[in-house]
Amino acid sequence: MEEELSRKDGVDAADPDAEALRAKLGEGFVSVRAHRGQVTAEVSPSALREAARLLLEVRGFSLLSHVSGVDCLELPAPRRFKVVYDLLDLGRAKRFRLEVFCEDDLAPAVPSVGDIWPAALAHECEAYDMVGIRFEGHPALERILTPEGFEGYPHRKDFDIGREPVEFTFRETPLGKPAAKD
Amino acid sequence: MAAEAPRIIEHDPDLLGPIRTETMTLNMGPQHPSTHGVLRLEMELEGETVLSCKPVIGYLHTGIEKSMEGRTYNKALPMTDRMDYLAPMSNNLGYVLAVEKLLGMEVPRRCQYLRVLLAELTRIGSHLVWLGTHGLDIGAMTVFLYCFREREALLKIFEKVSGVRMMTSYFRVGGVAREPYPEFYGECRAFLDQFPDRVDEYEELLTENPIYKRRSQGVCPISAEKALAYGVTGPLLRACGVDYDIRKKEPYLAYGDFNFTVPLGENGDVYDRYRVRIAEMRESRKIALQALAGMPEGPLMADDPKVVPPPKEQLSHDMEALIHHFKIFTEGYDVPAGEVYQAIESPRGEIGYYIISDGSPSPYKVKVRAPSFANLFALSEMVVGSLLGDAVAAIGSIDIVLGEIDR
Repeated sequence: MEEELSRKDGVDAADPDAEALRAKLGEGFVSVRAHRGQVTAEVSPSALREAARLLLEVRGFSLLSHVSGVDCLELPAPRRFKVVYDLLDLGRAKRFRLEVFCEDDLAPAVPSVGDIWPAALAHECEAYDMVGIRFEGHPALERILTPEGFEGYPHRKDFDIGREPVEFTFRETPLGKPAAKD
Repeated sequence: MAAEAPRIIEHDPDLLGPIRTETMTLNMGPQHPSTHGVLRLEMELEGETVLSCKPVIGYLHTGIEKSMEGRTYNKALPMTDRMDYLAPMSNNLGYVLAVEKLLGMEVPRRCQYLRVLLAELTRIGSHLVWLGTHGLDIGAMTVFLYCFREREALLKIFEKVSGVRMMTSYFRVGGVAREPYPEFYGECRAFLDQFPDRVDEYEELLTENPIYKRRSQGVCPISAEKALAYGVTGPLLRACGVDYDIRKKEPYLAYGDFNFTVPLGENGDVYDRYRVRIAEMRESRKIALQALAGMPEGPLMADDPKVVPPPKEQLSHDMEALIHHFKIFTEGYDVPAGEVYQAIESPRGEIGYYIISDGSPSPYKVKVRAPSFANLFALSEMVVGSLLGDAVAAIGSIDIVLGEIDR
């Protein structure tokens, strides 16, 4: 488990897109890993927008499938929150995943990529709503799924989903509560 | 006395400035027949013209993704078809493929063919609902009745094969829930044989119908660049002329074996979306027929006793089988840690399951990339500048299912 999910700097997936990212970003590039045929590159939050622009404009990843906020509270991860971007290059039919760990565990934030891929805008709202990650520079970051006045972030691991008390009804008899065998 | 000719007052913009009326903000929905579920659209109108449109969602949010985290992989499966209730098999398929990818498992050929067959029937069924309700939106009642006649035949097949009409949960990790009933293949073939005539009937009603064409041609188009930027996928994207079908470009299951074309549009307007979906139904029929004809022999379930429950008849005399059966349905099975994103072509576009496993029997996180979610947010690009009545046609043409948007 630790093998797969921890950062592995030395292990290289030898992916051309990841290599291009590494060459361009330098310090901002953290790691790359491959799992089940999927390549994931991790970059630092400050390098995210540069990475996004490179992937869109040079590497041709024109379609952003989704943006997800993940609470890594119970995972062996260096930080609590990460944001994952799944990208698709239609010409090469190639998928690529970009991930960013938020630096501050208490007030997680990453730059928005909404102006690079407009598709990100709605997904970023959802990640903000569900996991509570702020996307800096998002023009209208608001809750979109939960009702007005909702408190807390439901997809965080420490969010209490609550429970309903099980109600038993029984008929009062002069002898009190009926026993199980009745 | 001769009637005085009506006096036409010419509007002189130099003198009076452009005619401007006050803009009005109109809430369309959440209860509105053309929003196909509980969707609210905040529209700013100037007269009949839409100035801006903002979809407000969340009315159907049920926390499905969160609920899945608390269940084993098996028990989380039935929640997937409740998201997109028009294409339950596609949703099951995306989920089981993602879990199988995590497990590093591949199902036997026969199972792959059976899944392809059912997924394509699902696509036909989903497009039929779309076509029917789209017809209703623009005032063509008959199409709806025709479409539901065929959909009923499909639902009967689904009911017989899985036990349930809509919430099928038929695809399971490592295979399918059970062997199809003996007449299944014959009934599928009978349905597919008469289906082209039925599509011709729908086309007769709409394709060359001048009223329909005026309601749809050139209405609310979106350019290919804009569509891509907004993450639009599926028939909506292909109507703009972008040739991307996951079944063709990143073949999953046995889709590489089948011969089919990917229908494309040109203008990205409502009419092209209609043409693409009609053509897709015919292509789906072709794929389904090929799957029927080439259905291989062999086992249906993957050979992994830890994941695939043993056949029911073994339970009465095989202790080992009984233990596996019990363990699978109570504890579940451990799935190796890791994260995968599996995308498949659902009737609405790319449905993707992003699953993180921490090595335990229940998923650490599930995120569903719903095709309608991305497609809906491209609506504002489509409708700005068009008439309110055309916006209704555009909403219908996206083929949204609020269940999967809100999850």
